[in-house]
Amino acid sequence: MAHNDQTPHLPRRKRSARLSLAMMGASAFGLTACGQPEQTTDVSFDSPRSYQSVDECVAADVYTRSACEDAYEASVQEVPRFNTLEECEAEHGEGACTAPTEQQSQAATGSSGGGWFMPAMMGYMVGNMMSRTSHGATNRGVYQEPVYRNRQNQGNWNTATNQATQRVNQRHQALRTTATQNRQATQRRGFGSRSSARGGWGS
Amino acid sequence: MLRVDVAERANWKTLAHELGFHFHTIGGEPYWKESAYYQFSLDQIERDIETPTEELHEMCMELVDRVCHSNALMQRLALPEFMWDTIHDSWVSGQPHLYGRMDFAYSGQGHAKLLELNYDTPTSLYEAGFFQWVWLEQAIQQGIIPRHADQYNSIQERLINAIAHIGDRLGSAEMYFSCIKDNDEERATVHYLQDVAVQAGLKAPFIYTEDIGYQRDGDYFVDLDNQPIQALFKLYPWEELADDAFGEKIPQLHTHWFEPPWKAILSNKGILPLLWEHFKGHPNLLPAYFEERSPSPLPPGWVRKPFFSREGSNIELLTPEGQREAVDGPYTDSPWIRQAYHPMPRFGEHHALIGSWVVGDRACGIGVREDVGRITKDSSCFVPHAIV
Repeated sequence: MAHNDQTPHLPRRKRSARLSLAMMGASAFGLTACGQPEQTTDVSFDSPRSYQSVDECVAADVYTRSACEDAYEASVQEVPRFNTLEECEAEHGEGACTAPTEQQSQAATGSSGGGWFMPAMMGYMVGNMMSRTSHGATNRGVYQEPVYRNRQNQGNWNTATNQATQRVNQRHQALRTTATQNRQATQRRGFGSRSSARGGWGS
Repeated sequence: MLRVDVAERANWKTLAHELGFHFHTIGGEPYWKESAYYQFSLDQIERDIETPTEELHEMCMELVDRVCHSNALMQRLALPEFMWDTIHDSWVSGQPHLYGRMDFAYSGQGHAKLLELNYDTPTSLYEAGFFQWVWLEQAIQQGIIPRHADQYNSIQERLINAIAHIGDRLGSAEMYFSCIKDNDEERATVHYLQDVAVQAGLKAPFIYTEDIGYQRDGDYFVDLDNQPIQALFKLYPWEELADDAFGEKIPQLHTHWFEPPWKAILSNKGILPLLWEHFKGHPNLLPAYFEERSPSPLPPGWVRKPFFSREGSNIELLTPEGQREAVDGPYTDSPWIRQAYHPMPRFGEHHALIGSWVVGDRACGIGVREDVGRITKDSSCFVPHAIV
């Protein structure tokens, strides 16, 4: 949506400020958009991560609590607000909306007085926003944004099962040692055997 | 919306090679073309492309939910029965998807009309997300286009965020990337996605689709060293995966696929009549019907498409004036749909098609393809755009 690309100190723009390639092509490549104020040139996002909540962000032990809270607050401020549940559901689907929690209300409006509705958030992104200028790199705070809409009846994919997955991995690790010793037969060419119209499958 | 002739950048072919864009010319014919660009107003982008894209995306997600809870709809879309549970489970557990592209007919006026969805194996990603952006910056610097020009394009930035999010949800921050052998363009697209994944902090090894291994007692598909593949990006359609020799192993193993299995629902042109059934009269939709219905409710002026088809293959159209155009292809063994014919906007002798990208659940950029014919094919040229 249009308003999401606005930052207070920049004119409205529809394109990213900076792009780079890490490994593709002859050499590392980075280019910065023209017409940027000097202090925001060459902005890159340093390994962004996503969290369900401030507590999860803090527990991950990557950012300080205040950085997690700042990012959360800014992220909540980006979420569209509606006067009624019906208006919100009309846009975001039945069951996809919720009244803000006390914490969300505070973060979005600075007051605990609710009376409005928003699509439920699935998580938010936090990353170091580094600013590199001729004077060197400085950390310009955190960058945040909702990535996916929360949908009704949908589980929290792979977070609840992470521990189980890790157990499976450990078991697999053990099995693999055995498997390698046993030289278990691996079958291949079970995918991609059919040819397409023009030797490719992109569309 | 205008098509504006401009000078090419003097060095662009050298630059393209340095940046890994080796398929700028395909079979001796130009694919990337910068002797012109398509010019949009900010209103055209935001009101006519970006907003409808997000709205249609939400409508598609609603339909995915319906199909996932209906065996009848699964059957109607010719989805193989052994995949139904896997498709359903991947949706209700909320397995995230990465991206998709909607193709629109749009002339700069009126409503953009959705021609089709490419939500499983969309390509032209590198040229839209990266090379087009570089063109804009350099064209401004070299005085080719106005200094205040902008572009609707945060595709790569959003891809990095989406992959970082997925990486955090995986047990290990590692995703394998795959495509089939002997296709330079697809290998380059996958290489680009690996690059994006590395920038998002993931490990991103590559494996050819044909080299993916299966072990009888394993929990995962395996790589060439027989290491388990926990997460796998495939530039290979769901209907083919399911139909392949290992297809029936997919539900038994824990490997996470990207796009997720529920994208099989949107990889299928049968979604177009379903959209019309559920959102009949929506200004961005064209009337569309399953062909089994007889007689067809469409008057002369229709396009006939198989459920499964790529890059314009097996598409046949009849204009209201009786002009017929068709592209041959191998996709003859699936059901068909008919969609109302909508004239492609013409700029000089070129028909322009707008590919509107969705990454995560956000509309975030476009790429324009043009062709002298009415059916956009893999040989159609990619032309950059700017907001002026």
